[in-house]
Amino acid sequence: MPEPETGLDTVRIIVDAEKQAAKIIEDAKAEAVAIRKRIDGVIQEQREKTLAETRKEAAYIAARGKQEAKAETEKFEKESAQALEELVTKASAKKNATVDKLVGIVLQVEK
Amino acid sequence: MSETSRFTEDILTSAKSKADAIIREAEAETQRASDEARGAISREAEAIIRNAKAEADATKRREVSEARHLSKIREQREKDKIMLDVMDRAKKRVLETIGDDAKYIPMLTRLIESGIHELGEKSAMIHLNERDLRNISSLELRVNKTLTGDVKVEVSKRPIEASGGAVISSQNGKIRMVNTLDQRFEALESKLLVEARKSLFGQ
Repeated sequence: MPEPETGLDTVRIIVDAEKQAAKIIEDAKAEAVAIRKRIDGVIQEQREKTLAETRKEAAYIAARGKQEAKAETEKFEKESAQALEELVTKASAKKNATVDKLVGIVLQVEK
Repeated sequence: MSETSRFTEDILTSAKSKADAIIREAEAETQRASDEARGAISREAEAIIRNAKAEADATKRREVSEARHLSKIREQREKDKIMLDVMDRAKKRVLETIGDDAKYIPMLTRLIESGIHELGEKSAMIHLNERDLRNISSLELRVNKTLTGDVKVEVSKRPIEASGGAVISSQNGKIRMVNTLDQRFEALESKLLVEARKSLFGQ
């Protein structure tokens, strides 16, 4: 730093230093703004990436849910069709006896 | 170093220190924002997964419940078909007995007796259809033979409209016991349905 020769020089040197100091602070403020902006971008990017992966997983869960529902429904329908067939077979075998019973009731044979 | 130099040096050192503080504050702030954002993103992602799982479970429950409901309807339809068939066959069999005197006359006798008993009067009028009126002699004999007590029984000469069975009334016609086959079927329908269901499906 140059040594001042006059009082005016001293003032000038101090004013320059003040200007330099103001610039250092302005630069720091600008850097702070840039840091904040950068992190906004990083957060936004991170959010989009994470949510895109999550949505893929959600779609997989939904598809798997549908598959499981279909499989469970098919299994249930198969079992219920078998059960119904059995029920019809058993009931059909009892038809004649039931008709006899009803006729008995109407004709007062059964008391 | 001159006073001026020290003074300007202090100004610059102080400015650098302030600048460092500004940067540190910005970095700390962004770190906090980053941590908060990570938490928020994580919560958002968890909510998406939670909703997807809930939706998948709901889909499964809805489809299985729908299948269960349809299965119940199918089962009920089959049961109704069987019940209807059995009721039709029973009715047909009952009506067939009309043509078989060996079965019909005892049955008609029982219906008349039960009607007289339910009527609870000292005298009773029996109303028959045209066909049964023609066979009245054998019928009267049976009724008179089997009746206990001293109920005076008379047979109306006017035929009634019925497939079979009889209407038993008091002499003045004010009290009537309708024991025709059609009426019996109608009156007994709910009992017959219960019995048929019990016999066919054990319910």
